[in-house]
Amino acid sequence: MRVEVVLFAHLSSFQPDGLGGRHSRTFDLEDGTTIAGVIASLGLPDQPRVIFVNGRHAPESQVLHEGDRLAIFPPVAGG
Amino acid sequence: MRDIVRLDMATGQVTREPLPEKWARYGGRALTSAIVFSEVPADTDPLGPGNKLVFAPGLLAGTPAPNGGRLSVGAKSPLTGGIKESNSGGQAANALAKLGIAALIVEGKPADPGARWALVLEADGSIRLERADEWAGLENYALADAVKATRPADDRYATITNGPAGEMLMKSAGIAVSDPHGYPNRFAGRGGLGAVMGSKGLKAIIVSDKGLKMVESADKQAMMAAVRTFANALTTHAVSGTALPTYGTNVLANIINEAGGYPTRNFSEGRFEGVEGISGETMREITVQRGGNVKHGCHTGCVIQCSRYYMDKDGHYKTKGPEYESVWSLGADCGIGDMDAVAELDRKCGEVGIDTIEAGVMLGVYMDSGEIAFGDARAALDALDQIGRGTELGRILGDGAEATGIAFGVKNIPVVKHQGLPAYDPRPIQGIGVTYATSTMGADHTAGYTITSNVLAVGGTVDPFGTEGQAALSQGLQIATAMLDTLGFCIFVAFPVLDIPEAFGAIPEMVAAHTGQASDVDALMDLGKETLTYERLFNERAGFTPADDRLPKFFYEEPLSPHGAVFSVSDADLDSVHAFVPETAQRLGIA
Ligand code: SF4
Repeated sequence: MRVEVVLFAHLSSFQPDGLGGRHSRTFDLEDGTTIAGVIASLGLPDQPRVIFVNGRHAPESQVLHEGDRLAIFPPVAGG
Repeated sequence: MRDIVRLDMATGQVTREPLPEKWARYGGRALTSAIVFSEVPADTDPLGPGNKLVFAPGLLAGTPAPNGGRLSVGAKSPLTGGIKESNSGGQAANALAKLGIAALIVEGKPADPGARWALVLEADGSIRLERADEWAGLENYALADAVKATRPADDRYATITNGPAGEMLMKSAGIAVSDPHGYPNRFAGRGGLGAVMGSKGLKAIIVSDKGLKMVESADKQAMMAAVRTFANALTTHAVSGTALPTYGTNVLANIINEAGGYPTRNFSEGRFEGVEGISGETMREITVQRGGNVKHGCHTGCVIQCSRYYMDKDGHYKTKGPEYESVWSLGADCGIGDMDAVAELDRKCGEVGIDTIEAGVMLGVYMDSGEIAFGDARAALDALDQIGRGTELGRILGDGAEATGIAFGVKNIPVVKHQGLPAYDPRPIQGIGVTYATSTMGADHTAGYTITSNVLAVGGTVDPFGTEGQAALSQGLQIATAMLDTLGFCIFVAFPVLDIPEAFGAIPEMVAAHTGQASDVDALMDLGKETLTYERLFNERAGFTPADDRLPKFFYEEPLSPHGAVFSVSDADLDSVHAFVPETAQRLGIA
């Protein structure tokens, strides 16, 4: 299945193509892959993070589906 | 000893009196709101002689308390018609505190409305009011230069200045406060307080603290111990220690956009396709490339340091790194996705002296009318320029989003209590809608920043789409924020404070060590409740009813893309937010 993955702030350097930037990349994943699986394959640092699938918060255990957009942020805030 | 200094614009007299005992626990917002509640008739004309403009440094300003040098500016607001506390960074709060001033109250009205005045507070304690007619009409940066020319080269001083919009009594006018470099780029922006300053004929306040020592604490050792704990939490928490200093507040653009709560083109969509061009990450890249400073405090003593300078293409200072709110309002809400264009608009707001949030929301409404097109940055700049020049059109636009929407027949005008909504759509983020609706300030995100739990997973989580728990979340944050504004803390300390128990504990420890009076979390929360109670009662007396604690109808009726959400928190929940007010009023003896 194909899933869009986008990483923000300093996490963007963890994109597999090493190019950084905030544009999304399309990942070809095996059916049943969870968010945690993607995080492990990207090698993201073991730190708190905020995760959205299709604009809604999602737990790392969530299984991804064809066409999903997965967005991962480090802890951020402002105002 | 802290004093109240009064300036009567009718006579030019300056008087000094000790802070009354009943307000000894107060500073910042508690003090401005208590003074406005007690001394300004709620039905007074905001631009008449009965209104008072109050400047109060937070209780811990001038001490080593990290991020503790914020300034509260209070009055009856000409924009909302209710009470206003507008909060600013910059150097003035610490300087006033070092001079022993708990509050500076500007009252009365000068006989000659054409005259301009400057109030000068010297480091030796002397205070004088000077005629400053030659400064009439000056924009804020030119005014800062003009002030500089009057000061000794080795002086150290802060400025509080009013741009032309305030002189013309426009309802979106804000008051500028100088940063550590002397740029007039920090603002008590919201609520039209620049118009109040303009109505008093006051163009500038200059506060010198050259050679003055920091304010002494009752127990210095205990103070320093608590300061260390607090500073440590602020600099190690992921948000205040890493994200904010690296990217500034605009780091929020991408995450709020991702959540579908980034109001676009006058709140008609929840995502902006041009966000990449104006995100915090992009802003940082541009700034670094152009040699701009990307990390400093807006005032001495800030350890988080979310401020930065935005440079033009030639590497010259353009404006302060626009905050998330400003980038959103002048960017996404206007359909503008170009960072340089946004910076140009931000600078113009700073020069003219208008609130960037109100200005951007106004422009979004103006664009929605079809008079100018969404995305047309040049036309937007011209509109702001007309405000500065006081043209016929400019005088309408300068009165803010609601005045503009009415004048040009726009259906969806995003305001509460006549004040423009900030950068989070309340439909997919219901908690912030509770704050917008119920805040004593009118639509104001800082008043109870539920984005923390609704979106950012700071201080727990509350489902942003659900209605459950939103009123309680907003209430708790509104009380805590009023407390932080009273002590003089930047509200960004809330991120570590909500997550790290020792950081929270350090606040009453600092208060106790500084004042010599015992303090605990309950006592601090009482400060917040008392502040909100003065504000709420003032607003009731000014004529506000529960009907004013609601969002505009379109937020309840028109679903927002991409989630199709509408605002659905019940009226009963909204009305529950101020349930503590009658009891607190009883305790204060002001029921
Ligand atoms: S964190 Fe930012 S807004 Fe807060 S005091 Fe520091 S520079 Fe000012």
